[in-house]
Amino acid sequence: MIASLFRAATRIRTLELQADRDTFIHHLHPLVKMAVTLLFLVFVISFDRYQISPLIPFFLYPVGLAILSETKIRPIMISLLTVLPFVLFIGISNMVLDRQLAFTVGRIPISYGMISSVSILLKTILTVSAVLLLISTAPVSVLAEQLTRLKIPSILVLQLMLTYRYIAVLFEEASSMVIAYTLRSPRKRGIAMRDMGVFLGNLLLRSMDRADRIYHAMKCRGFHGKYHTRFLTRWCWKDFLFAGFCGLTLCFFRMVHISLWLEQLTGGLR
Amino acid sequence: MTIPNMIEAEGLRVVCEDGYVALSDVSFSLESGSRTALIGANGAGKSTLLLSMVGVVPYTSGVLRVANAVVDKKTFSELWKTVGLVFQNPDDQLFTMKVVDDLAFGLRNQGLDELEVERRVTETLERMDIIHLRNRMPSRLSLGEKRSVAIGAVLAMEPKVLLLDEPTSFLDPRSRSLLVRTLASLPQTQLIATHDLDFARGLCERVIILQKGKVQAEGKATDLLSDHSLLIRCGLELAPQF
Repeated sequence: MIASLFRAATRIRTLELQADRDTFIHHLHPLVKMAVTLLFLVFVISFDRYQISPLIPFFLYPVGLAILSETKIRPIMISLLTVLPFVLFIGISNMVLDRQLAFTVGRIPISYGMISSVSILLKTILTVSAVLLLISTAPVSVLAEQLTRLKIPSILVLQLMLTYRYIAVLFEEASSMVIAYTLRSPRKRGIAMRDMGVFLGNLLLRSMDRADRIYHAMKCRGFHGKYHTRFLTRWCWKDFLFAGFCGLTLCFFRMVHISLWLEQLTGGLR
Repeated sequence: MTIPNMIEAEGLRVVCEDGYVALSDVSFSLESGSRTALIGANGAGKSTLLLSMVGVVPYTSGVLRVANAVVDKKTFSELWKTVGLVFQNPDDQLFTMKVVDDLAFGLRNQGLDELEVERRVTETLERMDIIHLRNRMPSRLSLGEKRSVAIGAVLAMEPKVLLLDEPTSFLDPRSRSLLVRTLASLPQTQLIATHDLDFARGLCERVIILQKGKVQAEGKATDLLSDHSLLIRCGLELAPQF
């Protein structure tokens, strides 16, 4: 479990490494990408839990962005698979708790719980992939700098950034501890429950110590709460074009249910 | 003609939170441009001394002067501009997503413009022979490569005083030789904590021997490192020659 979480964390860092590529999307101002992603997230989660078909057109955004930014889809898909068990757990709970019949497909009864489960699944795929694509086209440090420019208190932005980095430290420490544990207890699969308390306690202390040392090393190189990046903030017409096009398209998808036309053709999902 | 001292420490004492005395009455001076090895057995206080000289571990009493200016609580926060410390464990120092960003981190904090940052980063990467690691993720490097990057990250800042904590650990022989040549070519005042006595003898003119938090001996490297009885008394030993 911890090993798979570590791999997931490493994948996110690998995604961030793609943020230096030389494409139209990568050259856009990070603030534009952040704003469009935020708009996308707000629109996607604003749909009613029983609405599925209006979400379908929104898949055009991550797909289009991935193609234009030449982002490798595989790490995104694998990261999505990591969060999928949690979503499925919530989805199954919905199916159990909300059994009211919505409609039938042939002889198969479809409950509102099933519809809301699919809706949660789609929303998760859309929102997580949009955020991962944002990270793969703009480094977190650059995004953090933009948040500061938006007058969000620097202490909050710094907390956010250091937490992001701390997660990596935590997983690195966890990985070394798991390897050391496994090598000395080869017959056990994973960490025994009786060792879990000591393991987690040690992990917390070790990662806190290391985070502390990293912070001291940062201070020794002049860090005083502001993280500088190499990104030069220059606006150009492409930023406005991208923001305008994406903004209008997303608004159109949110206001006009294109999928209704498809529903009329197919008989509707609801 | 006397060479001015870059660093002067008088009676430095460090007491840990649990009451353990890590350093006691440590006094020494480093001439400007000199290279001094700080040697001692495990737990002698070498790392603590280096950390106390940059304010990470505050000293309880004593006086520290850098470039003739007394360092106090107010000036400690500005010490990073003059004194650069390479940490013992490179994993504690490298934290960015790319090697190039780690080298640029300190330079950007110095307020340099991007052209100058780029120039210094490239120059340092070439000097340390790690230009091929430029866009690699530090966490994916070998320990030796991480060590070279960590040293480069401090060298790029061009501090007047360079403190290095076990710089040869994790390095292969080729990287070690390169490090010796690089450090020998630098004009900075250097204080190098090391267990590698051959390295100390080959690079440093002076040696300070620490034992149990106290300075046991200070003098010329050639004299002290050939005094076997002193080395053994201080828990040190030269590596056997093959």
